[in-house]
Amino acid sequence: MLRYFFIRLGQSLALMFGVLLLVFMMLRVTGDPAALMLPREASAAEIEAFRERMGFNRPIIVQFVDFLSKAVVGDFGESLHFRTPAMTLVTQRLPATVELAATGLLFAVLIGVPIGMIGGLKPGSAVDSLARLLALLGQSIPNFWLAMLMILFFGVRLRWFPTFGRGAWNSVIMPAFVLGLPVMGQIVRLTRSTVLEIRSEDFVRTAYSKGLEPPVIYLKHILRNASIPIISVIGVQFGYMLGGSIYIETIFAWPGMGQLLQLAIGWRDFPLVQAIAIFTSTVVIALNLLTDLVYAIIDPRIRYGL
Amino acid sequence: MKAKLLGLLAVVLAVSMIVVGCAPAPTPQVVEKVVKETVVVEKPVEKTVVVEKQVVVTPTPGKPQPKGTLRFALSGEPNSLYIPATADKNADIAASQLYDPLVFQDDDGTIVPALAESWEVSKDGTEYIFHLRKGVTFHNGEPFTADDVIATWKYGMGEGSAWPDRYSIAKSVEKIDDYTVRVTTDGPKPLLLVTMHDFWSIIPNEYMEEVGLDGFQKHPIGTGPFMFVEWVKGDHITYQANPNYWREGQPRVEKVIFRFITESSTRVAALTADEIDLTKRLTAEEADQLLSVPGVKVIQYPVARIFYIAFNNLTTGKGLPTEDAKVRQAMNYAVDVDAILKSLFGGAGKRAAGFVASSELGYGVVKPFPYDPEKAKQLLAEAGYPNGFEIDMACPTGAYSHFEEVCQAVAGYLGKVGIKVNLEFMESAHYWDLEAKKELPPLFGDSWADESGEAYNRLKGALGGWDAPYSSWSDPKIDELLDAISKEVDQAKRKALYEELQVYMQENPPFIYLYEPYTFEAMRDRVMDYHPRASEMCYLNKVWLAMPE
Repeated sequence: MLRYFFIRLGQSLALMFGVLLLVFMMLRVTGDPAALMLPREASAAEIEAFRERMGFNRPIIVQFVDFLSKAVVGDFGESLHFRTPAMTLVTQRLPATVELAATGLLFAVLIGVPIGMIGGLKPGSAVDSLARLLALLGQSIPNFWLAMLMILFFGVRLRWFPTFGRGAWNSVIMPAFVLGLPVMGQIVRLTRSTVLEIRSEDFVRTAYSKGLEPPVIYLKHILRNASIPIISVIGVQFGYMLGGSIYIETIFAWPGMGQLLQLAIGWRDFPLVQAIAIFTSTVVIALNLLTDLVYAIIDPRIRYGL
Repeated sequence: MKAKLLGLLAVVLAVSMIVVGCAPAPTPQVVEKVVKETVVVEKPVEKTVVVEKQVVVTPTPGKPQPKGTLRFALSGEPNSLYIPATADKNADIAASQLYDPLVFQDDDGTIVPALAESWEVSKDGTEYIFHLRKGVTFHNGEPFTADDVIATWKYGMGEGSAWPDRYSIAKSVEKIDDYTVRVTTDGPKPLLLVTMHDFWSIIPNEYMEEVGLDGFQKHPIGTGPFMFVEWVKGDHITYQANPNYWREGQPRVEKVIFRFITESSTRVAALTADEIDLTKRLTAEEADQLLSVPGVKVIQYPVARIFYIAFNNLTTGKGLPTEDAKVRQAMNYAVDVDAILKSLFGGAGKRAAGFVASSELGYGVVKPFPYDPEKAKQLLAEAGYPNGFEIDMACPTGAYSHFEEVCQAVAGYLGKVGIKVNLEFMESAHYWDLEAKKELPPLFGDSWADESGEAYNRLKGALGGWDAPYSSWSDPKIDELLDAISKEVDQAKRKALYEELQVYMQENPPFIYLYEPYTFEAMRDRVMDYHPRASEMCYLNKVWLAMPE
């Protein structure tokens, strides 16, 4: 177990290093950062002074080592647009993004698991058709399109939910639903196929033959066993939802990290882009690592298979 | 199985249709109006009620109380409300409502008194004496005096300022007495007053010393019509009316909330759902869509920005046919800009007559080049290129609305008169990097805005030879005229210089002149006395709401 832990940790750290290198290089390959970051009216002297101040005139290796040593302690420099430490801005926006992702995940689980379960228990039924339709739609509808459609229908026409922003109790519903829909689709599909598989296992048949009530069998025997892959999917998806909500947050004017990233790219605020990209990558990598470790604890075949 | 799936789909469809059918139809407002009118006709006694309503709708003479909340959607979050640090138009709009400058530029471009009641300029144009308004207080009650003007100037050049040049335009700012200030420059600076209007928003000296720059950024204070209440990061900024504002009867709304909505289609939805009152920067299509929404007004106006195809005579354009003025004229005649505007922008743009925008000083002396391909061919033949020539051109992607298509259309029109254009598209960040290094091809497209009401910064920026980072052109005559403009304090004489320059730039065009774009804004029809400017700036001190809550 300890060996597996160290191997996975090593892999994650290597991946993290790759992310840092990539993010650092991205800034340098798009052109002279000093000229890009300053306003168009800046004179040649102002550009030179900025280059000096930001350290862009040093050898690239020196710049990278400096960047790396600061990144390790969470220092990604100052946002050029807001003139505040980039990491502070990221942490300010984190609660909104976590709220959105958590609510989205809640929708995905609360709707996805029961539908997937019924679909798996009663293949060919109407609910099963709905489950398969939901799985298909959830994973194929472009979320920005769905977001606009929901705004027009539920926001503008019915006036059930605010069209944008965060604050009112119901403001999270539309963006969270749109964000959670692809995950919902995935959970429905996974639950359905796992339940289909488990319901024909020997221990389920035994449970039936013992005369147990079907609800007890569904919850205690089938759902419990099916929950292992579902939990691992939830762990990984939560990480992606934290980092991947850029369109949703932008469309719904949700004040989270995704919206900030979109704005930072527009402002060419590279320190801020770096901070957000590295922060979300770290969260995704960490959640993946955690999921793998939990999985390895639950299912020993994984660590021995390595 | 298939039948079941189809059946389910049919159910889903039917349910959706019922839900759609249940949704309120967009007509009840009409019914409401009819009922109101009926009440008035049936019960003439209630006429008083109607009169009361009319009183609310019409601005009362004398001293109206500020009423209602104006909800203003910005296309992005301001970076700061401290004017020396504001980075874009959203920040300028939000910040400017908190402060007053010494002098104010009116909607028609005239400089009028603000915190300075009057001023005198020395004969050589290097010394300005400002007489300050008495009895004005900042939002915290601190009185406004000469010390605040000096502090504003010093802070503007100091740490935390993104625009130190806008303050160092003055060599010194001295106090003569508490209400008189002397501003000295090291030569005539015709744009000093305009710069003061744009940037020198007066901040309180004592408060600034007390809380420091960080403290000021958290709770900015000025003498302006609105007072800062809160800034919820990523979401909104709230202001409330300044009850002690020195301009009589202003402001006229009690509260202003700036919401940050990046996506323009969301702004359209929010306006339609009556969640916001006013929004800027919509596309022509969105404006068109809003025209049919009841209770919404749409406005359009040309922005002080010129789109152009630049010629390079500094680096990549050396020794090419485009060094001949006749060839450059021919290329201007060859492009049908009106057709481009019509097909790509639905006519929402104005053909550029030169490099001076229609809202700027000295505009109107030259007419745009007409579309005349025959004349173009004739000029090319006269220049010695009867069969045309081949040339490289570049265009940025993702930078401006429909600009890729504009570049393609220009290349197509040039092809029709025999000029084969090899068009290359580049990612905009990379593009501007190359433009700054003067490494773009001999022809390239771009645009330049200016907010000062004059074209000087745009002209200097794009035609300043090696001295200007984004310039690709050098012409001694243009340099001479620009130098003269930069030193001429007399507005009428400066106008004449702009006119002379435009005539010269018509005969010796350094660009293919394209267009001034229109911008679209929309608002609920209760928003009154809102006047945006060609710079896309707006001041909310006179705005009022016809139906306060």
